[in-house]
Amino acid sequence: MSRIGVFICHCGENISRTVDVERVAAEIGKLSGVAFATDYKYMCSDPGQNLLKKAIQEQKLTHVVVAACSPRMHEKTFRKAVEAAGLNPFLCEMANIREHCSWVHENREEATVKAIDIVSMMVERVKKNRILPGITVPVTKRSLVIGGGIAGIQAALDIADCGHEVILVEREPSIGGHMAQLSETFPTLDCSQCIMTPKMVDVANHPKIKLYTYSEIELVEGYIGNFQVTIKKKARSVDEDKCTGCGVCMTKCPQKKIPNKFDQNIGMRTAIYVPFPQAVPNTPVIDRDNCTWFKTGKCGVCKKVCGPGAVDFEQQDTLVVEAVGAIVVATGFDLYSIDEKPKGSPIKGYGEFGHGKIPDVIDGMTFERLASASGPTGGKILRPSDGKEPKQIVFIQCVGSRAREKGISYCSKVCCMYTAKHTMLYHHKVHDGQAYVFFMDARTPGKSYDEFWRRSIEEEEAVYIRGMVSRLYQKGDKIVVMGSDIAVGVQVEIETDMVVLATAVQPQKGADLLAQKLGISYDKYNFYSEAHAKLRPVECATAGIYLAGACQGPKDIPETVSQASAAAAKVMTLFSKDKLEREPIVARVREAGCVGCFACKKVCAYGAVEEKEIRDRQGNLIKVVAYVNPGVCAGCGTCQATCPSKCVELDGYTDEQIIAMIEAL
Amino acid sequence: MKELNYSYYPGCSLHASAGEYDLSTRELFKALRIGLTEIPDWFCCGATPAHNVDELLSLSLCAKNLELADKVEGDMAVACASCFSRLKTAQHVLGESDVKRKQVEKAIDAPVKLDSNVKHLLEILAKDLGLERLAAAVNKPLSGLKVACYYGCLLTRPADVPNLDCAEAPTIMERVIEAAGAETVAWTHRLECCGANFTLSRPGVVLQLTNAILESAKAAGADCIMVGCPLCHGNLDIRQKEIEGVYSTSYGLPVFYLTQLVGLSVGLGADKLGLDAMMVNPMPLLKEKGFL
Repeated sequence: MSRIGVFICHCGENISRTVDVERVAAEIGKLSGVAFATDYKYMCSDPGQNLLKKAIQEQKLTHVVVAACSPRMHEKTFRKAVEAAGLNPFLCEMANIREHCSWVHENREEATVKAIDIVSMMVERVKKNRILPGITVPVTKRSLVIGGGIAGIQAALDIADCGHEVILVEREPSIGGHMAQLSETFPTLDCSQCIMTPKMVDVANHPKIKLYTYSEIELVEGYIGNFQVTIKKKARSVDEDKCTGCGVCMTKCPQKKIPNKFDQNIGMRTAIYVPFPQAVPNTPVIDRDNCTWFKTGKCGVCKKVCGPGAVDFEQQDTLVVEAVGAIVVATGFDLYSIDEKPKGSPIKGYGEFGHGKIPDVIDGMTFERLASASGPTGGKILRPSDGKEPKQIVFIQCVGSRAREKGISYCSKVCCMYTAKHTMLYHHKVHDGQAYVFFMDARTPGKSYDEFWRRSIEEEEAVYIRGMVSRLYQKGDKIVVMGSDIAVGVQVEIETDMVVLATAVQPQKGADLLAQKLGISYDKYNFYSEAHAKLRPVECATAGIYLAGACQGPKDIPETVSQASAAAAKVMTLFSKDKLEREPIVARVREAGCVGCFACKKVCAYGAVEEKEIRDRQGNLIKVVAYVNPGVCAGCGTCQATCPSKCVELDGYTDEQIIAMIEAL
Repeated sequence: MKELNYSYYPGCSLHASAGEYDLSTRELFKALRIGLTEIPDWFCCGATPAHNVDELLSLSLCAKNLELADKVEGDMAVACASCFSRLKTAQHVLGESDVKRKQVEKAIDAPVKLDSNVKHLLEILAKDLGLERLAAAVNKPLSGLKVACYYGCLLTRPADVPNLDCAEAPTIMERVIEAAGAETVAWTHRLECCGANFTLSRPGVVLQLTNAILESAKAAGADCIMVGCPLCHGNLDIRQKEIEGVYSTSYGLPVFYLTQLVGLSVGLGADKLGLDAMMVNPMPLLKEKGFL
């Protein structure tokens, strides 16, 4: 006979305001099998847990039901307390009378009756709970970091410095990401390359970091502690081991007019190229779409001039499989493009700004390349159309951001600060120039941020106009900016030489596809979702996968670096144990009844169902049945719902238990 | 091929100052063998005054007209940009708000028709008839005529209401007139406001705004302007001489309704297009280009 203890929580007033908790305790106390029922103001507090432990020992309880908040909130807390009192933790269940009852009802009488029902159901369910042994899985103490921008670099260095091996995968030919493109950084105006490139070199030289550039994630299998990742190394056409990085191939390549993506397509590069001189690794890549050899079969100059014979036109894409225990996703961001968007896209582009067809209307990243000493103009601010220095420049903030009618409602967070920085860089380089900024609000929360913004106005002479721009059009060699100044309440028109758009920060293209490979969730904008917005901001809901940087939401450099180090700390926490305990709420197959139809295998989203051979003592095969690998099973229950012969059951959620719950109503 | 038939809502302007729009619309549709039946007993959509004074009134006027149109076969064909905008707005607002819909149903004593299709003439030519069939009907292509297509405010905006074309960078007028063999010019002021009915209360504002439009069209090398709105037409055409005086300039840009230009291309004569009603005389231009 069970001796069940039921503990009703007031949750301060959260529950007791609408549910008569004393009456619930009294009613539940009358149920058969319930040996003890009580209520308490805060069950999760220390005295609350002590009350629970004491009752288990004094009343010799066999099962426990805690009626409180959602099990997502405190199931772990109470199971731990139950375990400390000497019971198997899986003999404790929670009845949710907060989210499912008190928070959503106003009528006290009805809510109390419903709470009694919910708790009674849980009492019936817990009676049939089994003692479950813990499941342990081994941990592979290597980690994968996806994305070689500042977030990925920081996470990789932190993990590697702790002595664990890191596989760093970058899609582009070089690591560095967007930060390597920036000219100077707010709020200190230190040169981005100066602080970035040493870190890139550290990555390249670190004995514990294995770098795959020009590579992409092809397939991710497995689970926390035991992932198998297939990486596609795209054909570089240059042997990384033989290449010395001398650069002769690039000086001799006859294709010299290919827009360089790293320079936002305003600078040119050759067909065999490194994206920028400080690239890591300093091994060129052949852009096969633009290479004369690959287009016509003639040329081959790079191969002829390469001393070590590293150029290899025959190279193929290769697949590499790496075993890792944890994954840090740091794929970063991309900028909203104002061009015409394909039909059906929720994002609309900017017809009123000419859909990006006016050559001297550029985005913030292009301005960074113009202002960068290593950029295509050597750090001079020059118009892309005619190479003249703009004497007037207009910056427009919130292009795409905070614009629900354009399909994006969020704030991109970094634009207010980088636009202030741009006005300063412009003023430093064009002394007789005038900068105007159209803005909605200046959002500058951050250490020394507001002071920086004020400086752009007070010392660097930027004119800030509060209002939006309705239209841009070309008039001769000028651009007319039509906007409003809502502080004065007038329409303004500025004829200017150049316009810089602070376009919205968006996730990288293909972020959704990567998320599907990883099995992590993402929001409607394709930003990856953290497990809890406040308390688990760097973990994914999928165990063993962590987030760093702007792939989770717009972030500036300090915040990105902090999050990357936090993700690294989470990985190291995971790696601090040799074995990992997993919740044993997994599916089990009743082999005697299983007919081996494998309907369960087809529906299992986690690949947990395997085929198992049943043999007699002589070793003759009797039948093949399904087997659920407890290390992989996520306890979703889909197999149980699918099995036509009712031979798979999820512990804690068996048909018998569900029926018992319904009967309790 | 399916026969095209529409219920026709001319709107007040087409029975008054924009008589040539009405005439050319009927003649063009006849020439293209598109059925057009004027809605019996139609009345004013409320235009700009009604919705500025009383929302219920403005919605009810449109709702009642929609109900009348429902009794005639075919989707509703609307020529005036303002009527088009009001009818579409009424459908949009009543579709979003149950409360307003019930009020209006009480006021007009009939159920509100939200599912009927209200179509601007441009939509009928470009989508229902289709550009290919339109081009096939052209027997006097407008070769060498440079047209500045002027949308004004209401044909495409606000973004989610008329759904005629992209609100910020539409091309439907250009596509239609190119099908008629004309050239179009890329110009900057095709979506700017002409000042609309401030033409009576604040003519100074209208002169300034309309001047900017004419200046931009002229600078882009246009021979003429094409419109789909009687009020824009009034400001650009009737006010043009006055503007030339005030700004000491000369534009001489004839302002055509889209149906007049398309009508020319399918071989309709000047008498069937009401070309004599235009203030800026188009005859010299049309003769020079050899269209008449």
